Amino acid sequence: MTERMRSVVVGTTVVIIGLITLAIPLVLSSSNLEIYVDIGLFTIVVSGLSLLMGFAGQVSLGQAAFYGIGAYTAAIMAVHKWPSLVALIAAPIVTAAIAFLIGIPLLRLKGHALAFGTLAVQLILLAIIPETPSFTGGSIGLSAIPPLRIGPLAISSGKDYAYLVWIVAVAVLIITRNLTRSRPGRGLRAMATTPSGASATGVQVESYKLRDFALSAAYAGIAGGIYVFFIGYISPDAFPVMLSIEFVIMVVVGGIGTISGAFVGAAVITIISQILTSLGTSPSLPPQLPTVLSLGVYAVILIAILRLIPSGIVGALSELWKKTQRTPSAVSSRSSEERQEVASAVDGAGRTDSVLTGELQSRDATMVKETSTGQQ
Amino acid sequence: MTAFVEYLMTGIARGLVFALLAMGFVFIYRVTRVVNFAQGAFAVFGGFITYSLLRAGVPQGVSELLAILAAALIGLIFGIITIAGDLPLLASLIITIGLSILSEAILMLIWGTTPITYSGLTGHDFVILGAFIQRQYLIVVLASLALFALVALAFGRTYFGKAMTACASNPYAAKLSGINVKRMGLVAFMLGGALGGAAGVLITPLSPMTYDADVSLAITGFAAAIVGGLTSPGLAVIGGLVFGLAEQFVAGYWSPSNETAVALALLIILLLWQARRMRLEGLE
Amino acid sequence: MKLLESVEQPTPNGSIPSDALLATYNLVVRYGAAVALDGVSMYVGKGEMVALIGPNGAGKSTLLNTLSGINRPAAGKIICNGKLAHVPEGRQLFPELTVEDNLRLGAYRGGSRDPSPMYELFPQLHRLRHRRAGGLSGGEQQMVAIGRALMAHPDIVAVDELSQGLAPIVVSDIANHLVSLNKQNGTAVLLVEQNAQLALDITSRAYVLENGRISKEGRSADLARDPAVHKAYLGGQVSR
Ligand SMILES: Nc1ncnc2c1ncn2[C@@H]1O[C@H](COP(=O)(O)OP(=O)(O)O)[C@@H](O)[C@H]1O
Ligand SMILES: [Mg+2]
Repeated sequence: MTERMRSVVVGTTVVIIGLITLAIPLVLSSSNLEIYVDIGLFTIVVSGLSLLMGFAGQVSLGQAAFYGIGAYTAAIMAVHKWPSLVALIAAPIVTAAIAFLIGIPLLRLKGHALAFGTLAVQLILLAIIPETPSFTGGSIGLSAIPPLRIGPLAISSGKDYAYLVWIVAVAVLIITRNLTRSRPGRGLRAMATTPSGASATGVQVESYKLRDFALSAAYAGIAGGIYVFFIGYISPDAFPVMLSIEFVIMVVVGGIGTISGAFVGAAVITIISQILTSLGTSPSLPPQLPTVLSLGVYAVILIAILRLIPSGIVGALSELWKKTQRTPSAVSSRSSEERQEVASAVDGAGRTDSVLTGELQSRDATMVKETSTGQQ
Repeated sequence: MTAFVEYLMTGIARGLVFALLAMGFVFIYRVTRVVNFAQGAFAVFGGFITYSLLRAGVPQGVSELLAILAAALIGLIFGIITIAGDLPLLASLIITIGLSILSEAILMLIWGTTPITYSGLTGHDFVILGAFIQRQYLIVVLASLALFALVALAFGRTYFGKAMTACASNPYAAKLSGINVKRMGLVAFMLGGALGGAAGVLITPLSPMTYDADVSLAITGFAAAIVGGLTSPGLAVIGGLVFGLAEQFVAGYWSPSNETAVALALLIILLLWQARRMRLEGLE
Repeated sequence: MKLLESVEQPTPNGSIPSDALLATYNLVVRYGAAVALDGVSMYVGKGEMVALIGPNGAGKSTLLNTLSGINRPAAGKIICNGKLAHVPEGRQLFPELTVEDNLRLGAYRGGSRDPSPMYELFPQLHRLRHRRAGGLSGGEQQMVAIGRALMAHPDIVAVDELSQGLAPIVVSDIANHLVSLNKQNGTAVLLVEQNAQLALDITSRAYVLENGRISKEGRSADLARDPAVHKAYLGGQVSR
């Protein structure tokens, strides 16, 4: 009952937020409109990455590469006179197909080899592009990319792109939400969040991970495709490794595995990065200051969030909300508690040195009245 | 022939440096299950700290030793930030990504963006089979072999080393025996820091060090470590040599601009091979 | 509500002696929302041999892990007036280390690291001392696991599933070692077993754990004659 009510509330909120996002472009200046488009693009990328991290428990450090593959696919096709809409649609498909091929073996590796594997993919891409000028434009890149047309509609102004981006973003968020609410989605989540229970259902888990990985790449691909039509030119400089790391930071800041967290993380980090750039670029300051500042701030944000509010902004807010809603009889916020307990059973090294030594003669095992009465 | 010997020597020396980094990955991974993305940063710190100490007039050997100790301390701090408390593995991994960019920020703030280098221990270069070999290459080979021997002794012969192996082998049983697995994880981070620092100290005279060299160093070290499935120090050394030699021969006989791409492609192939091996052995 | 009842309910067979070596009072342990131990009170006296029997999933291993500090109790109390060593379910050796190194690591908390007393207890281990523990037979591994625990010089040793995966003859051999250890050194033993016959044979007192609660306790000989225990644990197969 509460479950259903909550999902209705969340659903309505999503729709309202969607409407607001569509109204915003009408009032923004052109430079702010550009930031707004960026936030939309990043929301698309980040919701895919968040799905991968939250539900498959894997990190991709090559998300900027997928963004780039999408962008290059669209750009190269458009330059070769393909209809621009076809080029745009091909972007996520090609990207997902590449991710799928990479993912089959990489996702089978234990631990977090995927992070390095995807990083390698990105570095290879960055190494290949300058060597293939006839195809990709080399390090100079491709320009004069034809404008995007959807049927009779020419997408040209910043406002047009803002709408396009946000329609896609909302669609992506809805797809992601439906995926995560499905039963396999929940199973996958349980798997991702407990350290040991991973390979229990073997092949099935593997295929869900692969699906999420390919889907996250597809999201990055469509965002890259839109980006390239929006900017009108493309070069490898637009897809540095740092961008991949920024995507990870956005996921963490918003809240790993939360849907609205993708938007929150993208927005917060994009805005912070704008502020840092404008802060650091005064002529009296040393030239490397903006970089030092942004690297430092990103690092501190990333570590602080993981250490202090590991569920991210959205996760923390929703926990706070649950706490205020909680009646005395319904004590446990089960899923997260459960996770921690399991983790500590497997992994909690700190508490081992008492009983066996006999040093601690009496271990008073926290006679917490509330906890024992709370359980029905 | 001359060129071949030169590539071979350079490749072996650089390969051993990669092996030092790879062993850092292996020790940290074995005890904590964390793939430490900031592993390359230890080397960058090692190089830059040696550079500053040398400029401050500290004798060469002392500077290098101090830099390695400093890297071990940085390793300890990184370890505390990464694994203290009850964090899920995923969070620990991402924290090491944060530590990697934090290192870049600190390095850039202190030392700026100009690449640095210093000459290794002085002495004459020498000639092997007509090839001119910098003395530093020999030093790298001897120093890293000495370090490998030291580590092997520490793990194979000492009680503490065996306790550390026990943590990697069966953390639950290690806890039951009274070993503090978390603390051992911090020791592993210190060891990883020292090995990474040594790698940086040794490689900076051979190729200038930059504040942002950590990612490429980390990825090469990781690739070497993958040869041993992230758990075998011995195979990690072989992995390091494979990458050192591949890099030199590709750069020498083909084109330096393909060096990175080939190394990365090799990494992907290794990852695929390991995945296949794991599937065959049912280790998934 | 159910839990409250069990907390207030006195243990079936009276109180725990104040000089018990090891005792738990109304111990509650949870895995997330699942309750694994639901108000367990039990004790082991000095030099006593006690059995803990019960079906798979009853919470026996959870109890031992909680005594060893691996699990944290949600409520209740543990008193331990001596050193406890734990031989975990499935042996849990360090497979790539030698037998001797496995034994020596048992003394990690302090005391002598000399493994020769273990070679006296289990003479066949002496010949295997330089072999990798992972390559031994199940029975040999169980001896190493017990030896490793005994290296801690414990006052009480808790053995989880002694007989698991071992041939009956090997089991009785190792069980005899435990009994003589208990007789000679006065080391108390808490024996966790699904093989109730063996456990009730060699111990003097026993507890039956079911669904996280002690359902029966008493002298082992009496429990062995108890019709319900007999039916569930001695008659035919062990019930789930
Ligand atoms: N690490 C764990 N996480 C979650 N549940 C667990 C864990 N260990 C045991 N359990 C559950 O607790 C219950 C008791 O398990 P256990 O103590 O292993 O029983 P026994 O040793 O008597 O067979 C079982 O239902 C089991 O599934
Ligand atoms: Mg058990």
